[in-house]
Amino acid sequence: MDEKILALFQLCDSNFPTGAFSHSYGLESYIQDNTVHNIDTFSEWLRVYIDEQLIYSDGLACQLVYQSLEEDDLQKVWKLDRLLTMQNLPRETREGAMRMGERMLHLVQSLYRIPVLSGYRKRIEEKQSFGHPAIVFTMVAHHLGVPNSTSILFYLYSVVSSIVQNAVRGIPLGQTAGQKLIRDVQTDLMEAVEAISNLGEEDFGIVSPGIELSQMRHERVNIRIFMS
Amino acid sequence: MGEWTGVLHLNAENRQGKTVAKNVYFQGAFKVMRPIYHDNSGRACYYLLNPGGGYLDGDRYQMKICLEENAQLTLTTQGATKVYKTPKQYAYQETEIHLQAGSYLEYFPDPLIAYQNAHYKQKNVIQMDRSATLLYSDIITPGWSPEGERFSYKTVQVLNEIYMDGELVVYDHLKLKPANQNLAGLGFMEGFTHLGSMIVVDKKINNAFLDELYYLLDQNTFDYRFGLSLLSVPGFTVRVFSNSTQDIEKVFSQIHSKISQEWYQIKPNSLRKY
Repeated sequence: MDEKILALFQLCDSNFPTGAFSHSYGLESYIQDNTVHNIDTFSEWLRVYIDEQLIYSDGLACQLVYQSLEEDDLQKVWKLDRLLTMQNLPRETREGAMRMGERMLHLVQSLYRIPVLSGYRKRIEEKQSFGHPAIVFTMVAHHLGVPNSTSILFYLYSVVSSIVQNAVRGIPLGQTAGQKLIRDVQTDLMEAVEAISNLGEEDFGIVSPGIELSQMRHERVNIRIFMS
Repeated sequence: MGEWTGVLHLNAENRQGKTVAKNVYFQGAFKVMRPIYHDNSGRACYYLLNPGGGYLDGDRYQMKICLEENAQLTLTTQGATKVYKTPKQYAYQETEIHLQAGSYLEYFPDPLIAYQNAHYKQKNVIQMDRSATLLYSDIITPGWSPEGERFSYKTVQVLNEIYMDGELVVYDHLKLKPANQNLAGLGFMEGFTHLGSMIVVDKKINNAFLDELYYLLDQNTFDYRFGLSLLSVPGFTVRVFSNSTQDIEKVFSQIHSKISQEWYQIKPNSLRKY
């Protein structure tokens, strides 16, 4: 199991170049209007983002994609790719996810030979699918034989750790404060995986209206360090 | 599942430039009045009535609207949708809309007012041709309780699915649960009380149009806060926070007026009924 976990670690590493470092998922709008300005306000934002948006979109998608791969139901995977893209109403975060998904897919393809990844890439090239990092990540985890819940946990961790690093640069926060938060939020991530295991398709894509609105407002932010 | 509390089926067609109902069927606690023609565009306006006055425990409403080629319709309600307390079973409304080639639908229901301990679920599924036009809006108020307490309802869940030529193009899902969420707080309503959403799908919409809209709306007001963004198909979505229904309606009516005047040279009539 260690070698599989280690292999998945590589995808979670913040040096793994998917472009996540240039996305704030609406956080930058909060920073600019000074609602998020220190570690306390940022951790409040982060917990809302995880509990009210991430688990219902990327997190639940990880779970459903994994189950579909287990059942060899690729049509379902493609359906989830579309659902994940279309529920992402703010254009910047939607297009950002597509770009990250595609970059991750290209990179992973030079590391592994996974037939389903080639199929996914072909569909994206033919504009039948859109591409999303949660789906690419789950395809790799499933190929490696990592269990579903571990795969979800690792994926959530990779998203959250890159957001924290972006917050450290953007707010800015001290490096130590950032690392402390990554430590503290691990409990929340465990709980998030538990929460996701109790969700079904009917819960898909529930958004937190404020975070979504800030993602839309980000399009109009003039001076920016992040693309979303 | 069980019986419907109210059913409305409306099928409209364009007859020599005038939109008329081909079939209207309603039953139970749903009703439409005779159409009104506000101008000489031929566009019919239907007012939806809930003779029961509000949604009760376990109520289930179904609406099916079909616009045939080039039909043009405005659909609105006669007053706010009130959902009373639902101790046993949530109240539910589902709407199925079919928009055929060149058709145009404006669906602007009045605000939703969920009473203390109300649980309400609404699902709109829209199937449209890529040459059709859709304008949709909804407003969720903080509800009503005898003590004047805000957000005293149990759950309000609103799901909108739009399919274009059979493919999903919009999936908009909100589920507000005040007991589990800090609705007034960060990430939710950011200190506001009312939430408005609007979706417009039309092949004429592009980035330049969205820019014009953005500058048309007041960005510096404290009365409301809005976000708008392009969809993955020609169209856009708007979210507005404010502290009153009127402020949100003002934003929506500015958008509606711009579209009506630029595309149809129509000055829209007020749909207000009081």
